[in-house]
Amino acid sequence: MRARISCLMALVILALLPQQAALAADAKLALPSFQALESKASETVSITLDSPLIAMAARFLDSDKPEDAAARRAIAGITGIYVRSFTFDSDFAYPKADVDSVRRQLSAPGWQQLVQVHSRKERNDVDVYIRVEGNRANGLAIIASEPREFTIVNIVGSIDLQKLHELEGHFGIPQMDLTDKK
Amino acid sequence: MTDGAACSVCDSLARARAGDAAAFADLVRRHQRMVYSLALRMLADRHKAEDVAQEAFLQLHRKLALVQSDVHLLFWLRQVATRLAIDRLRREPRYEVVPLHEDPGIAGEPAAGDPLLQRRLSGLIGDLPPAARAVVLLRYQEDLEPVEIAAVLDMPVNTVKSHLKRSLASLRDRLGGTSGAAYRGDGQST
Amino acid sequence: MPVNPDLEQQLREALRRVDPAEGFAERVQARIERERLRPQRPRPALYRWAPQALAAALLMAALGLYGWHAQRERQGLEARQQLLEALRVTGQKLDLAYRGVKDAARPATAGDAGA
Repeated sequence: MRARISCLMALVILALLPQQAALAADAKLALPSFQALESKASETVSITLDSPLIAMAARFLDSDKPEDAAARRAIAGITGIYVRSFTFDSDFAYPKADVDSVRRQLSAPGWQQLVQVHSRKERNDVDVYIRVEGNRANGLAIIASEPREFTIVNIVGSIDLQKLHELEGHFGIPQMDLTDKK
Repeated sequence: MTDGAACSVCDSLARARAGDAAAFADLVRRHQRMVYSLALRMLADRHKAEDVAQEAFLQLHRKLALVQSDVHLLFWLRQVATRLAIDRLRREPRYEVVPLHEDPGIAGEPAAGDPLLQRRLSGLIGDLPPAARAVVLLRYQEDLEPVEIAAVLDMPVNTVKSHLKRSLASLRDRLGGTSGAAYRGDGQST
Repeated sequence: MPVNPDLEQQLREALRRVDPAEGFAERVQARIERERLRPQRPRPALYRWAPQALAAALLMAALGLYGWHAQRERQGLEARQQLLEALRVTGQKLDLAYRGVKDAARPATAGDAGA
């Protein structure tokens, strides 16, 4: 449904934008340049998608394709997606200093640690944080340390973990049901 | 459906598209049972099912111009009803464990067969993951073939068949009264 | 694995359609009516002046738009690729976390056949 925005409505929305931007800014992490990681990595993925780019990408999603349809459902309400992922040729080749600077931001008010996983068998650590404002989640952060890969994901906007999780089954990720119905 | 009934639906659809409120109400009455039942068995809650069913017809009213035939109408309503129900399920708090099969009134009119077994089956279906639940409902409530279910749910046919196979295996095991393997939706059982 | 025809028949019987509460169609109509009665704003008439000049300006804009659209399409497709990659990585890392949670919740002893 297309909204008809009169001049007056546009002015009201513009007046509110700085406030929305402030809220969004708190949920958006200040990611360092990770130059040290990048120089050691064999492969780097760096993705920065602000709201206009997400909207642009959404226009090119083909709802007839299951992967695109899943993506469209996942990004509803999201205003920013930021990914930094580094792959290395040897185990744990990445320095911790840059990682710690991100973790410090996640101890700021509003951020809550949702999940902390430490797997001895797989030798990986995954921390999932969510930022809550009132009773709404407006930020998500994932820090994943694997032997040869280090990844930070930051998502800003209205978060629906279920929809993000349902990316499984697409993109080559196996499906897994989390509901414990005993 | 007889020719007379088919023409009647086509007629209501054409008149509803032209803005005839009574014709649209006729479409609602013809299909409300189907839409409501899908929502009810997906959500196991009468209030939520009514809300989803109403929303489905509201969307139909907005998009009537897109519906090309009575066959398309059935497809469209099934698709929208299951999608709305699945979306509603996904909006439930993510990490709560919610028992899904406690509605005592969910059973339909008395049918041939064991009513206790049918109630137990309804409950066990409510334990299936949303996608598998939708597949089972479209197969056994709506009597759709896997290819049709795949189109409604925008899902590969093989995935539909996999959901059916594993859901039936899970239901059979759990009806057997053993500790029972619950179908998790990932091709594995607990 | 052969399907038990009895189970299928039992499913059909258990999943017979049920009616909503009486008055459902009327409630739907009431919602439609409420939506219809929401105030509509009149669309302002914007194109009443200088039609010839406007036509010429539109023609010039159309030519410029062609090139702009081609560039936008390239940018859009690239943005789509980036978006899909970002979501892939996100789903993958969430999956790592969920697997860890699941593994932690499993009983310590191996060999149990189902719960």
